[in-house]
This record gives sequence, structure tokens and C-alpha cells, in this order.
Amino acid sequence: MAFDALLEPIQIGKQTIRNRVVSTAHAEVHATDGGMTTERYVKYYEEKAKGGCGLSICGGSSVVSIDSPQAWWSSVNLSTDRIIPHFQNLADAVHKHGGKIMIQITHMGRRSRWDGYDWPVLLSPSGIREPVHRSTCKTIEEEEIWRIVGDFAQAARRAKEGGLDGVELSAVHQHLIDQFWSPRVNKRTDQWGGSFENRMRFGMEVLKAVCAEVGDDFVVGMRICGDEFHPDGLTHEDMKQIAAYYDATGQVDFFGVIGSGCDTHNSLANVIPNMSYPPEPFLHLAAGIKEVVSVPVIHAQNIKDPNQAQRILEGGYVDMVGMTRAHIADPHLIAKVKMGQVDQIKQCVGANYCIDRQYQGLDVLCIQNAATSREYMGLPHIIDKSEGAKRKVVVVGGGPGGMEAARVAAERGHAVTLFEAEQQLGGQITLAAKAPQRDQIAGITRWYQLELTRLKVDLRLATCADEATIQDLRPDIVILATGGQPFLSQVAEWGAEEGLIVSSWDILGGKVEPGKNVLVYDTICEFSGVSVADYLADKGAKVEIVTDDVKPGAAVGGTNFPTFYRSLYEKEVIMTSDLALHKVYREGDSLVAVLENEYTGTQEERVTDQIVVENGVRPDEALYYALKDQSRNHGQVDLEALYAIRPQPCLASLDEEQEDGFLLFRLGDCTAQRNIHAAIYDALRLCKDF
Amino acid sequence: MLDILLPILIFSALALAAIGALRRIRLWRQGRPSPVPIAKGLAAMPRRYLVDLHHVVARDKYISNTHVATAGGFVAAAVLMILVHGLGLGASQGLGGVLGWLLLAASACMFVGSLFVAKRRRNPPPRLSKGPWMRLPKSLMAFSLGVFVITLPSVGALPADLGSWIVALVLAGVVAWGLAEMVFGMTWGGPMKHAFAGALHLAFHRRPERFSTQEGGPGRSTGLKALDLDDERAPLGVETPKDFTWNQLLGFDACVQCGRCEAACPAFAAGQPLNPKKLIQDMVVGMVGGSDGHYAGSPYPAPEGGYKPIGEHGGDPHGPIVARQGVALVDAETLWSCTTCRACVEECPMMIEHVDAIVDMRRFLTLERGNTPNKGGEVLDNLIATDNPGGFDPGSRLNWAADQNLALMADRKEADVLLWLGDGAFDMRNQRTLRALVKVLRAADVDFAVLGNEERDSGDVARRLGDEATFQRLAKRNIATLSQYRFKHIVTCDPHSFHVLKNEYGALGGHYSVFHHSTYIADLFDGGRLHLKTWKGGRVTYHDPCYLGRYNGEYEAPRRVLQALGIEVKEMTRSGYRSRCCGGGGGAPITDVPGKRRIPDMRMEDVSETGAELVAVGCPQCTAMLEGVVDASAEVRDIAELVAEGLNEDPDPGRATRRAQPSEEVMTL
Repeated sequence: MAFDALLEPIQIGKQTIRNRVVSTAHAEVHATDGGMTTERYVKYYEEKAKGGCGLSICGGSSVVSIDSPQAWWSSVNLSTDRIIPHFQNLADAVHKHGGKIMIQITHMGRRSRWDGYDWPVLLSPSGIREPVHRSTCKTIEEEEIWRIVGDFAQAARRAKEGGLDGVELSAVHQHLIDQFWSPRVNKRTDQWGGSFENRMRFGMEVLKAVCAEVGDDFVVGMRICGDEFHPDGLTHEDMKQIAAYYDATGQVDFFGVIGSGCDTHNSLANVIPNMSYPPEPFLHLAAGIKEVVSVPVIHAQNIKDPNQAQRILEGGYVDMVGMTRAHIADPHLIAKVKMGQVDQIKQCVGANYCIDRQYQGLDVLCIQNAATSREYMGLPHIIDKSEGAKRKVVVVGGGPGGMEAARVAAERGHAVTLFEAEQQLGGQITLAAKAPQRDQIAGITRWYQLELTRLKVDLRLATCADEATIQDLRPDIVILATGGQPFLSQVAEWGAEEGLIVSSWDILGGKVEPGKNVLVYDTICEFSGVSVADYLADKGAKVEIVTDDVKPGAAVGGTNFPTFYRSLYEKEVIMTSDLALHKVYREGDSLVAVLENEYTGTQEERVTDQIVVENGVRPDEALYYALKDQSRNHGQVDLEALYAIRPQPCLASLDEEQEDGFLLFRLGDCTAQRNIHAAIYDALRLCKDF
Repeated sequence: MLDILLPILIFSALALAAIGALRRIRLWRQGRPSPVPIAKGLAAMPRRYLVDLHHVVARDKYISNTHVATAGGFVAAAVLMILVHGLGLGASQGLGGVLGWLLLAASACMFVGSLFVAKRRRNPPPRLSKGPWMRLPKSLMAFSLGVFVITLPSVGALPADLGSWIVALVLAGVVAWGLAEMVFGMTWGGPMKHAFAGALHLAFHRRPERFSTQEGGPGRSTGLKALDLDDERAPLGVETPKDFTWNQLLGFDACVQCGRCEAACPAFAAGQPLNPKKLIQDMVVGMVGGSDGHYAGSPYPAPEGGYKPIGEHGGDPHGPIVARQGVALVDAETLWSCTTCRACVEECPMMIEHVDAIVDMRRFLTLERGNTPNKGGEVLDNLIATDNPGGFDPGSRLNWAADQNLALMADRKEADVLLWLGDGAFDMRNQRTLRALVKVLRAADVDFAVLGNEERDSGDVARRLGDEATFQRLAKRNIATLSQYRFKHIVTCDPHSFHVLKNEYGALGGHYSVFHHSTYIADLFDGGRLHLKTWKGGRVTYHDPCYLGRYNGEYEAPRRVLQALGIEVKEMTRSGYRSRCCGGGGGAPITDVPGKRRIPDMRMEDVSETGAELVAVGCPQCTAMLEGVVDASAEVRDIAELVAEGLNEDPDPGRATRRAQPSEEVMTL
């Protein structure tokens, strides 16, 4: 059997898990009402259980104490008995589908923010500041240590009384337990610091207290790091010693192992490896821990594909695989494996939209799956066939919005024709994938290509649709997702008309050869600017990337900008902030860029042979305005219905024979520049009721 | 002159026939002994002929009516002829006159029948053998016409000797021709042999249980006969024609070469080198000795296209049927092409047991020669090593159900229903069916438990591949396991396990009440224990699994279940007892003999002819085979899946009261 190792049950403590796949603990940023697991939270996990996931460990960094603030990241709050009935709902929903659910519990110590909510004083073994959250903290006192040990035990009791199957103690990501472990942070000289046993003591007391509270028939696991990757941090050998030490108590039912510490921006990027990383980059660390412990080891980090997971498990490196982002992209992953539909799995591309939102305190969403974590709103992962009339749907534009609209309409059973001007689907995704280390983003397109083919969508590639082509098809519904063009004309002095500047699309699309000495001017500070700079440098150009914003790539999230920076610094790209491009002029064979300081008005010049401007996308509205007046709904979307995930009222008019014409909708960048998720979300919520 | 000639002709024909009969019986008796109740069998023969055989023949109304007229006319005419012309009771007055008129009527009836035989033979369907069979209508006409005319004087309609001795002589010649074909030919190997051998075959059939009785409905016996592995003298399977039992040889000899088996055989249609009719004729050739050169029907298809040539194969009663090297009577690939679907057995008007014969020969190839082709050896090795054909870890049979909390018999010791999982438990596709079945049983509050890892393969595949030893080992171990627990019924979604548990474990001491899940679900529904929503999908057809339908006669329950879901089944032309095999039975996918087409492809074409979007099935093997068809027009779903999907999980208030009833009863106890 092809996926036998993946689908083999396993015993953890007294629990049988139906397969080897875990959705590991991550902050969902979904808990509401003061950290309760309310409807959205429950539905999100229910969907994974329904889709066959063996074990979900929910609630990354769920707090056990009131001075470990939960509200910043809407994490789960186990410091009150109020959580128990909410856990019961959660447990019932997951158990109903045969899944198991545990929760990660922690005290984050210094790793949080103090400037809000209850304005807590943060705690840490030796009061050393944490850089990622810029958090200062006090040195923890003995009384506080024992209070927190007790809080852990009470939190575990609440999880058990709520019907969850276990808890995972977080001793990873520099939370309080591993802050005690790490000599880099723990400088104490009392019984809680110094020697190995002393540094282990806090975690050991927590483990003992938790196990004493919940007894044998409740799973207690521990998530640890395999190597902190800090020169003065815990090494792999240290971690093996630590794991073996706790394992020897016989009280730990499983270990979850993560490569890399994460208390700097650069190490944080390792923890949730984005698309620039190879598959399972830190598996060897987890395998090293497995060598020294007697209980199952779970490892998550860039395991996205069931074949990859099967290979890892078959090789015996670890006992269970975390496929967390893989489940955010497709909560039905296991079901599709079992149905023999591996080709239909929407595979995580490592864009890290989910985790980058989380670090900003925003709810976790998937760049390519708008239904994830919106299950409670009624957004479906599986689109049901319409029971109504079969419509003729024409989609113009094969970018993310157009592809999703075509997919959803086809799943509804309609006859769908999709026009794309380029030779291939993808729209701007195709351009984004040209940059070094960004090729995997094309996985989004690849999935749509497979699905649209499976759904027999009439794909008309390399075909520009105009008014006449569309009308010839006598459509019931027309969806425009035509995107736009680089907005170079905004400032006349840039000289776009005279051909003095080129766009990032020109470079990434291969229309313009890279220069030798290039200035990239980026007002957007998203992926596009740093991508084109990286691309140019990769082709051997000397590159300076200039922005009028606070730093180049300022809008690129916390787990993505470090990998860009690594690449840009390595290629000696100069990164300059606070300068606006004022004017460009030609001088002989060279182009001169006049830059003006945002804050002083001082001007300076750069002599280059190529100036690339990334100034976003200007919507392509021509076709829309050509069709607008012929459409029944004048191109208007009923926002109340859209936001409430209700059918567009104008759809009813299609059933009335006397009225003529089609319905017209716009999606994605042809309305206004936003992002992939926005385009896909609009497409899904609009088209799911066609 | 006729009154001298006719008795001579008649009695010499009868005498020659008697000699021929003795010779024929000697040929049959080369086979191994098989004790039969001679008198009881002979007594049962008329009913078997008139009810069971006629039931099969009557599927072709044309030939059934023709046969009634021809054969009925002949039997009556032959008896009357002996009386009237043989014993001279033909005086035109008194009883003789009546007999004469009766003989006239009988021969006239036979003549009319023979006209229809002649008509059928003018442009015969390809399944019919030609050769000597082409002259049969003429012989029938000669006999009936000759007898008619020579009897006319007996009733005084014509003068004695018809007025001229030359005419009489010519007529006597015609009658002699008729007698030669009809009486002498019957035992000396002409087409009429079928009447003689066929009648005795009915009387001494190896499976008397398959015939209906006056007491009950149609009988059924489809389980293979067990080999006595402890009898050192008994051969392991059939190597030579004489290794068949004598009544098997008798059965082969009864073949009328109508080719109904050929028309029904999926392997033949797929261009695999099997034609059941030819196989039976080859057995007759082997029994008599000689080559297949006289065979005048469709040969075995050749995998590379066309047919295998006639005249190259031959054998004798003591020679091997399958050669170790070169050719003998049949090629091994012929035997391994069979899916054991029993379409041939179902269609055979002579009640011949083709499939049993094939498995008997496979037993020898597997047990004595170790020559199970392709994946056969590997599968049997797996069964020996792991108790399942896929070679999966025997401890992983319940892996799919880790989230189902199934009660284990080992813990419970007793349950109303023992849910038999089958080897589909190792297959991801079938696991969906199993999950659905569990859901249905739970919805109906059925008290059930599973054997889990204690369960072993039922032995079906091993047995059909000829590995009787592995079958018996598996069966005995399963029987030993089952004997530890108390249960009322076994329920399974696998018709192969169902059949083996129900019909083949008995010989080894295991007797159980076994239900196919479709039957059990139908009963649950009828008992008001399942509440179903109305089907909203498109057009549905149903594929009858061979081991449920033809083997066990269950055609109705699956359809009842579909009806309960509000599905109106759009039947395929080949459905019910004429269902076309999916190609998955008898280890055929394992031995994988190449043909021109794949059987499941043909079956999915049958499905697509109905315009169905979904084909409901009730067998893991059928599901796997039909789902393996590329670009199929219909989805394949097990009945259990359809029911699980159709469960009304938001039951009406009425259900609550119905469900409350049993507990009230319990309380009054």
C-alpha cells in the first residue's frame, strides 16, 4: 500500500492516533472572548479532523498564567476554568470525526509584549531582553516560579476536564521552560540556574506537577528544539542530553522536535521554513533526538507532501510528521491520500502568508485557500454541485482570482470558459516565481492548472478576450480578473514615456535584459521589489534597492524578509531607505536618478545604466467599462451579501427569462491592487453560490 | 416387407446402441470413483430434466419450443415405434390403431420441430458448433418423416409396403439413416450423444444439491469440493483426464455444444485464450483419446489476435492435460484465464460444471508443479507468510479503523454480529466502504464486533488459484478463531469471503449464518432500523457481483436497498444472473493472462450504455476492477457508501420512540 507508513496508527501514552500525521501547535489567532476556543476555532480544527488528520495539537503558545498575555495573538487562555466548556465543544467536534486533539500549554516568560491589556511585567530567569518582541522583563522570583508550576498543573487539569486528549508543554521558541534551559538567557546562580540539573529544574517541576495532576491516562508531551543555532545557545548535543534527561522520568509521552531557536529575526525564519528552504531541512535534528528517547518523536518543518512524509516515516527518522502548513493549505490532505486523489491536494507552497500574519497579531489565513479558518462563516473546502440551472460562465484573466473563480464555478457544475492573454495560467504569480528562491510560489498555479483540467474548464490560453468574443459565447455570468499594468506613469519626471525606466515586470518577465549597474526603486516594499533586486543581483548586476519607506521589503513578513536579506546581503545589494525617486534623466550612455531624502529634502544622484521602478499595479479597466452598461447588474457587487457569504441577490435574475444580458463581476487587481489571498477570497465567496 | 425390415432395423439399432452405451460407460469409468445413489438419481432425473434443465433452456424460447417438439416427439415416436413397428402391435384396429395414430402424431410433431432446427441451422449464431451438428436437422427430418410415412399403412391410410417394395426399401433406408443418427449415434458419439449422456448426467450429477426439489425452492451448490489432503493415494488435483471423477467425465460428454457458455464467458469476449465450450470438448477428446481436429466450434482466442489453430492439441485419458513442455490437451493459460464467474455454469443447459473442472486442473498445476503464473506464486507465498494476499503486516488489518473504536471479539467474546472485514481492510479504497458500513451498522444500533488482527484471509484466492492446502490451512485457523466466540451472524461486504464462509467452510467444520452486507442492510431497513434520505444524484445502475449473484442467488437485496434510497436502478442488459464479471474473480487479475481487451473495460461499457453516472457495487474486487478503468463515464460506489451517505442523521421524532422501544422491553424483563 502506497502510504502504509503514513496511515499506520500509533500509540501515544494511552491514546491511539489513527495515522502518523499531526497538525502541530501554531498560534491560530482565532481564540475570542478572552482566549476561549469559540466557534471559529472549533470549526477550523473540526475541518482537519474531518479531512483525516490524525492528531491536532492546537493552541500554539496557549497560556497557563495571567502574566503570560494571551490577547496580543488571540491565543487560548488556560488560566481560567471558563475554558473547560469551550474545550468540550472542541474535543467533541474533533472526536466526532475520529481525530485526536491536544493543546500546547506554556508560560512565555519574556517572549511577548508588555505594553497592553493588563500591562504585565514580563518574567525571565535573568531579566535579559528578548529582541524579536523588543521585550524587557524582570528576573523571576522563587515564589513566581512555584506559582507558575502550579498554573501549569491547573491548565493541564482544565484541558483534561475539557475532554482534550493531552497537553504539550512548550519548551521551544524560547518560552519560560527553555529560557531556564539556556545558559545564554539563564545566568542564575541559585538552584534554578548554573548546573545542568539546576537549569532543568523548572521544566522538571512543571512536568512532575502536571503529571501528578492529570494522572496516567492523559497524554503529556513536550516540544523542544533540536539545536538553537546560536553560538552561545543550546547545541544539538545539549538538546539530546536534555531530551534523554526528561525521557528518563518516563513521564513524557512524546517529544515534538523543531530545528532552530527563534529569538532573533534570522533564527525565527528557520522555525517556519519558507519556500527558500529545502524539504525537511532539520529532520536530522529530530532524528538525533529520536536516537536518545524511548517515546514517539514528532517533527514538523517543511513537510508538505504525502510522498515526502511517507519517505520520512518509512526511513524511521521520526515517528510522526507534522504537516501543519500543509493542512492550512488543504485540511483534507489525508482524505485525498485515502481517496487516491493525491493530485488534487492543494499543496503548501511555503509563502508563509499564514505565519507572517500571525506575527502581526492577525488571524492565520492561507494565501491560496480562502476557506481555511473561515469554515465557521460557511465557506466550503469542498464545493457542492449547484442544484440550479447550469450556467455559461466566462472568466477573463488566468491569475489567482480568475483561476479560483473558474474552479469554483466549474465545481458548481457550470460550463466555464477562461481566457488568458499569456501562454500559461498564473498572472503575476508567474512573474513572482522568476525570482531566486521564489519558484515554489508557482505551485499555486500548478494546482489550479490540474484542477481546471480535471474540471474540464475550457482554457483559452494566449487569447485576449474582447467585448465581441465574450458576447459570442452568450454568457450568463462574466467575471473579469484582468489584473493591471505596472504603474510607471504616476510621476512624469520618472521618464517612463521616454523609456528611461523599466518595470519589475519587464525584468522578471524577461522582456528587458538586466543592466550591469542597476537602481531598483521600490515604493511598495512587498515581495516584488526585493524579488527583482535579488533577481538582478543573481544575474550579476550591481544593485542598489532604494525606498522611500522605512526599509526595503518593509511589508514582507517576519519569516520571509530574513531570507531575502540573507540573499541580498550576500550578493552585496545596497539597501537604502528614506529616499524618494524624484527624477530620472539621461546623460550620455548613463541614466541618472535624482533621489530626495524623505525627511530633509536633500537631493542626491546615482549614475546607473538601468532604473527599475516598482510602483504597484494600475488596474486594467477598459474591458470592464466596455461591458458594464450591458450587464444586468452594471458590474456592481452587493457588499452586504458578499461580506456575509450570502448569494449575490442579482443571481436570482438569471432565472427570469424576460431579462436579457449577463451578470458582470470584477475580481483581483483589475479593481484595485491587493494580493493573492484577496483575489482568491473574493472569487470564492462570490462564486460559491453560482 | 417393411414388417420384416423394420423390426430388424429397430432391434439392431437398439443392440448397437446398447454396445455403444457400454463402451461409453467404460470411457466414463476411467475416471475416479464418486459414489452416487443410482436409484435415487434415476428417480430424480425426470424432475431435474423437466424443471431445472428446462428452466435454463427456456431462456431461449425459440430453441426451447423447438426442443420440446423435437425431443418430445422423438422420445414418444421412438417408444411407439418399438411397439408398433418393432413388436408389431401396429394392427390397424384396436389398440394398434390408436398406437399408430399416436406414432403419426409424435413423428409429425418431431418433424415440425426439426423444421425449426433446420431453420436455426441455416444461419447459425457463431456460438453454435458446426460439423456433424449441421446434418442433425436432416437426420431428424429423415427419422420423423420416414417413421411418419411407414406408419401410415398401420392406420390404414396407405396400403402395406406403400404399394411398392422399392418405395418401402427407400423408406426403410431413410428410417435406417434416422435410426443410425438417433439411436446408434446416441451412444457412439454422434450429436445425439447429448441425450444419452445428458440424461445420465442429470441422474448422477456431482452436485445433486443444485437441483430443485419438490419440498423447496431452487437448490444451489456452488462451493468447490474439498480435496482430501490426507489421502496419500488421491492425486492433488487433476493431471490427466482420468483424474476427474467418472461423473465429471460423464458431464463433459453431455455437452451439446450450444455455445451459450462461450457467449457468456467474459474471458472469451476479452480475447483471452479461453472458450468454455472448447475446454469441455477438449476434455472429451482427452477422455476418448485423439486430437481436437474434429472440433467445429469457435477455438480459443489467441492473445496476439485471431484464434489458436485447431488440430495441434490432443491427448489421451492417461496423458497430462497440460504439457510440461510443448502442447498437450490444453494450454495452462487457458485454465488461468478463467475468472470463476460461473457465467458458463449458469447458462449451461446440460448442467456441466466448468469452473470446478478448471479449479481441479489448477490444483494440479499449483500443488504438484508449482506453476501458478505471474503474481500467483507471490500471492500464495504472501498468504503462507502473512495470511493475506498482499503480504501486509498481519498486525495492520485494523489500521484503517484506529479512529473507529471497533469492539473486538477478543474483548467482547460475544456480539449479535461478527463483522468480517476481509482483505479489503488493507486497501484504501475498500476502507472507505468499511467505514461506511460501520457507520450504517451504528446508525441501526447493531451490536457488532470484529476479529481485527485475529482475522485471516478467507482462503478464497488461494482456493481458486488451486492452492487447496493454503485454503484449508486458512479456513481451519479462521474456524478455530471463530469457534472461540459467540455471535448470531457474520456480516461482510466481501462476496468472496461471504461465499467461502457460507458455503465452503462447512466441509471443514465451520457452519455459520452469513450475510452479505446488502442483505443485512436490506433487512435492517425493512425492520425500520435505518432512516434514509431520498437520493438526489443522477442515474444509477447496479453491477451484480458474481459471488453474490450467480454463486449465492442474491440479486434482490441490493436492489431493495437502492430502492429504499429512492434510486430507480437503470439495469444493464447483462444484469442479474446474466451479469458480466468485472474480471476480478478467481485470481484472474493475479495470473493476468493477456487478451485483446480488459474485462472491466467491457463492463464499464455496459455501464455507460445505460447512461448511468454511478454504478453501485457490492464487492471490493468489483470496485477495484471497475475503478481501474481509465476515463470511465460513471463513478463506482459500494452500496454501503450510498447508504451511509443517505442516512438521515437528523431523524424524525418517530425514530426516537422506535429506538426507545427495545430499552423498554429490556426494562420489563
